[in-house]
Amino acid sequence: MPEPAFVVEDYSFWFKLPTGERRLALDSVSFSVEKGSFVLILGESGSGKSTLALNLVGIYPDYFGGFNEGRILVNHRTKGLVNRRELDRGERFQTVNMLFQNPEDQIVTLTVEEEVAFALENYLVRPSDIRPRAARALDQVGLQGFKDRSTLKLSGGEKQRVALAAMLAMEPSVLILDEPTSNLDPAGTEEVLDAIRLVREQVDITLVIVEHEVDRIFHQVDEVLLVDGLAVHGPESPREFLAKRGMRVRDEMGLWIPQASEVSLELARRGVSLSRTHLTGEELIDDLGAAGVREPAAPPPERNVTGPPRLVAAAEPVITVRGVGFSYPTKSDVLSDVDLDIHKGELLAIVGQNGSGKSTLASCLMGLFEPTSGTVTVDGKRTGDYKFADLARRVAYIFQVPEKQFIRKSVYEEMAHGLKALKVPTEELERRVDAVLKTVRLDERKDSSPFLLSHGQKRRLSVACMVISEPEVVILDEPTFGQDWRQAGRLMDFMRRLADDGAAVTFITHDMRLVAEYADRCVAMSDGRIIFEGGPHELFSSPDVLTAAKLKAPPVFDFSKELLGEPTLATTELIDQLEARFGRPGAVVQRS
Amino acid sequence: MDDLELSYKEAKSPFHRMDPFSKTLYVLAVSTTAIFNSSLYVGIGLFVLTFSCAAFFSGVSLRAYWKLGKVVLPFILILTFVFPFFYAGQLSIGSEDIAIRTPIKDLSWAALGFGALLGLRFLAIGFAGLTYAFTTHPSDLVQAFSRRGLNYRLVHAPVLGLVLFPSFLQLGRDISTTQRIRDLGADLHPIARKWASLKHLAFSMLLMGLRRGQTQAMALDIRGYGAHKTRTFLRPIPSSVAGRVFGWTCFVLAVTYLVLQIGNLAGHLQSDLGG
Repeated sequence: MPEPAFVVEDYSFWFKLPTGERRLALDSVSFSVEKGSFVLILGESGSGKSTLALNLVGIYPDYFGGFNEGRILVNHRTKGLVNRRELDRGERFQTVNMLFQNPEDQIVTLTVEEEVAFALENYLVRPSDIRPRAARALDQVGLQGFKDRSTLKLSGGEKQRVALAAMLAMEPSVLILDEPTSNLDPAGTEEVLDAIRLVREQVDITLVIVEHEVDRIFHQVDEVLLVDGLAVHGPESPREFLAKRGMRVRDEMGLWIPQASEVSLELARRGVSLSRTHLTGEELIDDLGAAGVREPAAPPPERNVTGPPRLVAAAEPVITVRGVGFSYPTKSDVLSDVDLDIHKGELLAIVGQNGSGKSTLASCLMGLFEPTSGTVTVDGKRTGDYKFADLARRVAYIFQVPEKQFIRKSVYEEMAHGLKALKVPTEELERRVDAVLKTVRLDERKDSSPFLLSHGQKRRLSVACMVISEPEVVILDEPTFGQDWRQAGRLMDFMRRLADDGAAVTFITHDMRLVAEYADRCVAMSDGRIIFEGGPHELFSSPDVLTAAKLKAPPVFDFSKELLGEPTLATTELIDQLEARFGRPGAVVQRS
Repeated sequence: MDDLELSYKEAKSPFHRMDPFSKTLYVLAVSTTAIFNSSLYVGIGLFVLTFSCAAFFSGVSLRAYWKLGKVVLPFILILTFVFPFFYAGQLSIGSEDIAIRTPIKDLSWAALGFGALLGLRFLAIGFAGLTYAFTTHPSDLVQAFSRRGLNYRLVHAPVLGLVLFPSFLQLGRDISTTQRIRDLGADLHPIARKWASLKHLAFSMLLMGLRRGQTQAMALDIRGYGAHKTRTFLRPIPSSVAGRVFGWTCFVLAVTYLVLQIGNLAGHLQSDLGG
């Protein structure tokens, strides 16, 4: 019988509310996780994934308060399976530990080696033993040669890998990773997921991960735990998990699932008989290919990346950027010779790795920064010639972290703020606020403090309070950050409607699925320059651009190319084309 | 990370080889002497000493000093050129002869000496302080004081501040940007508007700072921070005999000078009272 890494027995947890009352978060949960396995925790946004993870480590209820019942047994290296309560704090954290979302919250020293050694020093490990353990941990995450580097000068991905190494140096039996890539750009995400793969190969450890980047991780995990309501289901193998629930996990529960699985489950829903639920594009290609449902791949399109960008014919530009350069006092050429038109009625995606100039460009668009050279005009008038408040009413900016945007005491006041500034008559103001509150499903929370809303509600409010005054341009920074599939879809549908009503919607994102499914046009940036301008199809067909901007096409783009001979941007498009070309592939896909 | 120019700069200089405690003695000696000094000669001496230490023995370019120095220099110049006008016969070198005639008030040599003394005082303290910051690794600082019995968590706090400060500053910038974008307090009088924006900034930064702080405290706890009264240190603390001799010499000289100054002051006081 396999040895468990930890066992949760009839465990319940209640939050302690400020009023002193209890609110149940986990209700009589029981499950166990096998030693050395890799487990994915899934659940819709706000379902309690992090609450479960924090309970497993013991941060709830010991640090953040709350009440619990039941037992969590952990497999201690020398004592075997023991109740977590029987271990002192040091032993407990050296048995089960946790890596947080944001590397910035975890780094507390100035050099990489010190950071990795920090916990060991606190646990009084001798310096002569620390050095080899720190070196080994850095090796395990692929950071050889980084030990003397300043932590302040690392990229996001490197910082998260340092934080991971710092955890590994403690040699825990179980390591919980709470959305370790959510704050990273695609290159950083790739680095961290590669590091996790390396750790799996080299270290005898049980890994539990909460992660949205399911396309990269789903097929690698051994088991899936589902947090649903107050219960935890599983663990189940990924295939079993999907096969049991079908498309319900995405459509009803709002979970992100791999695109290959979306295709597989959607085909199954349409009555196609499949031998298994597919987790990767390769599996799908193999099975459909074996059944003859596959076209030979077309040769890759030729494209001169450095040549003039292709402009999408559209309405008159509302923002025109010409020859814009920008330098900070301490960093030059953050933007160089940027030319761009932003049109009404389109959804424009700006992509590129962190530090490529996306946010600086957005700041120039909304008049926060005056370009060092060149001009930015909004409706034909230079941004510098506008009164800032007037420009802000035309160009709305929505932060990645919604809380940064709130300036009023209640949801209602937050919504009414922009309209009051426009001196909208009270009656009309009330009517418009009520209507938008209903649209974003916040009408029942209109008297609440914006800071007390759930993450999804905060995001909806941050968008609604900026668009209620009907700006001509809406700029969103990482609009779907921390959102589940359903919330992300609703938000982007709302943006689509805004664009259809005549607004120019620009979003800065690292999420290539979002770009593929929603963008009319894309701009890719690298080192302060626009290196690509065109449709998402063209972007993902340009390997040079993807390499230069450190981007990766969504999986469906690649495996649809194998299946159809030409790529599609969305899974629905692929399924429709499969049906159109081959009829219902139903019976032929049955594998013996 | 421009916000962190005050941080440690790696180099191999005599000051880098000094232990933090000796450097602390040096800074204490310079600061107390500069503050209680009333002699222009001593002021010049202190300035020359601290400037020489910074320029020749810290391994850090003067450009790095200037980057920060230029921020405080205007204040030092204001002190140097404005305070002589308020000079009221303070004991200093030079004669009482008129040195400069100005439309406001004639300046005596003593008044000018007083201004120069103020300027030199702050320049000396500035140079010594920056030399300390540039050449002292925060971990060494924690280790040095921890070994002398101080709780390491207490001494580690400035290091945490150094690491976390940029993100806190960025939060403040983002909130200020929000206030501009959303035109907070547009309908208010400029003073009331300033107050409203300060209130909002303080509230938002406190709230978000506390939330973040909570996560950071948790991240520290799960890595054993405070699990024991003391800790081990991976990094060997720098130490040199020359550095210790230099630090203690500065300290002894400063104490001697202070005693003499107090003696002089007591003598003046006695003669004033007795007279």
